[in-house]
Amino acid sequence: MRFNYKKMISPLSILALWEIIGRFIWIDPFFFPPPTAMLRELYAMTITGEVFPHIGISIVRALSGYILAAFAGLTLGLLVAWSRVVENIADPLIELVRPISTFALVPVMFVWFGIGNGSKIAIIFKACFFPIVLNTIAGIKGVDKKLIQAAKSLGAEGMQLWIKVLIPAALPMIITGLRISTAMSMLAIVGVEMIAADSGIGFLVIDAQRTFATARMFAGIIVISLLGFTFDRIARFVENRILVWHTETSLSGRMT
Amino acid sequence: MYFIDAENVKKVYAEGRQKHTVAIEDFTLQVAEKEFVSIVGQSGCGKSTFLLMVAGLEQITEGRLTIDGQPVNGPDPLRSIVFQEYLLFPWKTVRGNIEFGLELNKIPKKERSNISSEYIRLVGLTGFENRYPHELSGGMKQRVAIARALVNKPKVILLDEPFGSLDALTREGLQTELLRIWLEAKCTVLFVTHSISEAIYLSDKVAIMRKRPGKIKEMITIDLPRPRTRDVFISPEFREYERYLKELVWEDL
Ligand SMILES: Nc1ncnc2c1ncn2[C@@H]1O[C@H](COP(=O)(O)OP(=O)(O)OP(=O)(O)O)[C@@H](O)[C@H]1O
Ligand SMILES: [Mg+2]
Repeated sequence: MRFNYKKMISPLSILALWEIIGRFIWIDPFFFPPPTAMLRELYAMTITGEVFPHIGISIVRALSGYILAAFAGLTLGLLVAWSRVVENIADPLIELVRPISTFALVPVMFVWFGIGNGSKIAIIFKACFFPIVLNTIAGIKGVDKKLIQAAKSLGAEGMQLWIKVLIPAALPMIITGLRISTAMSMLAIVGVEMIAADSGIGFLVIDAQRTFATARMFAGIIVISLLGFTFDRIARFVENRILVWHTETSLSGRMT
Repeated sequence: MYFIDAENVKKVYAEGRQKHTVAIEDFTLQVAEKEFVSIVGQSGCGKSTFLLMVAGLEQITEGRLTIDGQPVNGPDPLRSIVFQEYLLFPWKTVRGNIEFGLELNKIPKKERSNISSEYIRLVGLTGFENRYPHELSGGMKQRVAIARALVNKPKVILLDEPFGSLDALTREGLQTELLRIWLEAKCTVLFVTHSISEAIYLSDKVAIMRKRPGKIKEMITIDLPRPRTRDVFISPEFREYERYLKELVWEDL
């Protein structure tokens, strides 16, 4: 993953163009605050330290929901792949709930968990759970039947077959699900904080918009984008570390 | 008594409620201990099916199949199978793949690595212990698969077109190595191939199968002295076996 300078050209040109439009062409800076104004705002937020508690609480919420979803998703995914009975019970439920937009469930979560952190974590959970559970199921079920036969003929059976063959073979898919969910958690946390919260990075952005501080609004969006980018890079780094053998075997599952 | 003893074996694959495929029927084959027997026949005649049944990975529908007097009842590390597609564990190194059977048996690490080193040497992969499968050529992968099967000290090793996807040169090299490995490992070999000359070169006996229903049509003893070198390919006896076996295989087409 080498840094490619050529890829900086297009975003930087857009920012430059934006700056020019915002400064020299008569357009209300309320709609297009020049990037320098956003950066000034961002700098101020950082210097006063005011942005950090927002980032902190957003990360705590996102991470809590994500970790819960990872545990639940992996467990249910393995159980479904392991047992026909569990599959018959869980599969219809998964198919029913999965297509519901995460945000359609926001009111429900408010009713059930209140408007505090509970409902926000529940929303993150909903957003992260399905990619993890579905990739786990697909990963295990997709293990080459002949590879399983080869392992069985070498003496693998029962638990050993699962731990030493099925799960490692499914790991690329499982990890992809876990990585997709990190992005989901970032999307969902910002959304839910905009709907109802008095803290968090999503709140910062919507609050800026409500008070007509558009430069501040864009500064918040820059923070969100940086956060998302960082999480994605961390997830990819971890993925590549665990799957040294896989990333070099094929490029599938990587969207670089 | 024969080591591998198949008598009137029938295998029906049921697909759904209606569809049934009779893969083999009336299949009778006897193999003595430490014999090298090849099975040759047209595509779809049931060669792989029989190997899978000996491996215990498919159940027989009718008939009798015993190994060393015991009816086959599920897979057993004493009957290892090697497939054309190698099927190595991509997340394990050469050594890790070869040690798989030992790891399952909870053999201590030190001992495991002594044993695997021995097999790595046997298949000529010294120096490649820490490579991952994607870093190996096809021929090397198949060597790993063979070593991985041998590490359990199987009494029977089943090879299903093991050299089918290798180029001619690599294939010739591995044939000769397989003979050497077989002499050292002292096990019974069932070898499926589409190449008649390969079957003659390697085997004590060659079993010819016919299609629909799949069964053994004829079993020919290859009376060529061992150890064999590649010179045997140009001997008149070899040519004669080749001519005769080809005739038998083409008869059904
Ligand atoms: N799992 C299965 N389910 C249903 N039918 C099968 C299955 N495996 C094999 N068959 C059928 O059984 C017959 C024998 O197949 P088999 O794979 O044993 O042939 P083969 O001699 O190994 O062929 P090839 O030389 O092409 O490998 C074929 O008609 C095949 O379609
Ligand atoms: Mg076959």
